[in-house]
Amino acid sequence: MRKREANRASWQAIPGALMLGVAVVVPARAQQQAEPGSEVTVEQLDSRLADLERSSGEWRTRDSAFHLAGYADAGYADRSGGDGGFDLASFNPIFHYQYLDRILLEAEFATLVAEDGETEIELEYGTVDVMLNDNVALIAGKFLSPIGYFQQNLHPSWINKLPSVPLGFGHDGAAPATELGVQLRGGFALARDGLWTYAVYVGNGPELEAEDGEIMAVESEGFARDAEGGKVWGGRLSLLPVSGLEIGLSAATGEAAVTSADETMVDGDPARDYDAYGVDVSWKWGKQLDFRGEYVRQSVGAEPASLAPDKAAWRAWYVQAAYAWPETKWELVTRYGQFRAPDEEMELDQAVFGVNYWLTANAVAKTAFEWNDAAAGSPEDGNRWLLQIAYGF
Amino acid sequence: MNGHERKMTYRAWSAAVIALLAASGARAAEIVPDEQAFARGAQAWAGQCARCHAMRDPRELRDDQWRAVVTHMRIRGGLTGQQARDILRFLQESN
Repeated sequence: MRKREANRASWQAIPGALMLGVAVVVPARAQQQAEPGSEVTVEQLDSRLADLERSSGEWRTRDSAFHLAGYADAGYADRSGGDGGFDLASFNPIFHYQYLDRILLEAEFATLVAEDGETEIELEYGTVDVMLNDNVALIAGKFLSPIGYFQQNLHPSWINKLPSVPLGFGHDGAAPATELGVQLRGGFALARDGLWTYAVYVGNGPELEAEDGEIMAVESEGFARDAEGGKVWGGRLSLLPVSGLEIGLSAATGEAAVTSADETMVDGDPARDYDAYGVDVSWKWGKQLDFRGEYVRQSVGAEPASLAPDKAAWRAWYVQAAYAWPETKWELVTRYGQFRAPDEEMELDQAVFGVNYWLTANAVAKTAFEWNDAAAGSPEDGNRWLLQIAYGF
Repeated sequence: MNGHERKMTYRAWSAAVIALLAASGARAAEIVPDEQAFARGAQAWAGQCARCHAMRDPRELRDDQWRAVVTHMRIRGGLTGQQARDILRFLQESN
């Protein structure tokens, strides 16, 4: 018994002995390194200091800069009457290369996991931006559509306050997503912190999908072709009369044509009129309250010689309010929206209530409940629980 | 005014706006020492960045990284070049 206690005491003494050994050996080695024979001269120290200053100053003074930004998210959805699953996972790197203060190259890639497990990679946007002066920048390439506000400024998951996007403001909705063309955009400062912003663009425009002789969807994914030869012109004008309030108007017009009918590619369908317009308002009251709302509509005219001769329209709107609980990291969010389309199965009314916890300014954990009201039998019909964690970098 | 005339009028206005904006590009921005830039930058940072997202800590990035990010945000938010320079000054002196 006494021997066992002695052994235990020996084992317990080992960490102390090791620490004592480290304490003795480390200073001894440090002292050894500082022996007079190994001392550096003042000239050597000056040289090393110069090297350090040069290397640390390089990233401040060089003409070009490279930066990797982006965001990532993962989530879980559980629809009533169905099985829940981890259905949301994306990683969206954004590459920035800047030369002086004149040119910025930027590209965002959306890397997504599809329902069948396949990985999808899409170029969300990729542009060459040239700062012409303090008020004008020229943007060329594939850019986020300036029609509306959500798609161009709020779609990153760490910015969007809910795990889902507003109805009709995602891909294949009522709001144009991206465009391929050229754009001029910028702003003019007003008195009392006010600001005018503008964006005007010309691009290839959208394409149309038909089914059973009727137009079903408008595709605005920034096509690198112009099927009907007619360009789309448009833009957005916004006024920020005072800090916290923004009112925006946007519109576009041009031509579009049917390029797909009954899931078969179509060539040569005649061009028809295309129009889009939108209104958006946002208002921040102090640091706690954030209100925003948006309406957008796209439409195409009738064309008797087309495979799908009738006109069609898509429209969507939403209003959203968020309240950041004072002195905490909690935030409450609610949103109501509608989406209307020629295909009645796509039509949907939706109310959402969510609770967010902000881990940092760029990392948020979200949970929300959606009340969905769609046509009976539609896959969109049915309420959902959503969980998501999003990070922006 | 029929649909075709309406489109032509719209395009003419668009072309005029584009030409006017492009012509103004000939005037280069003057860069002069400005002691108020930091204060203006702090104000613009608080007002403009919060239009869309939560306020990011200036210490998140190095000076050169903020350069590219602020230029990106100038494009995205329709900021003026002066506002972008002020915000960059604030971020680079606060990180």
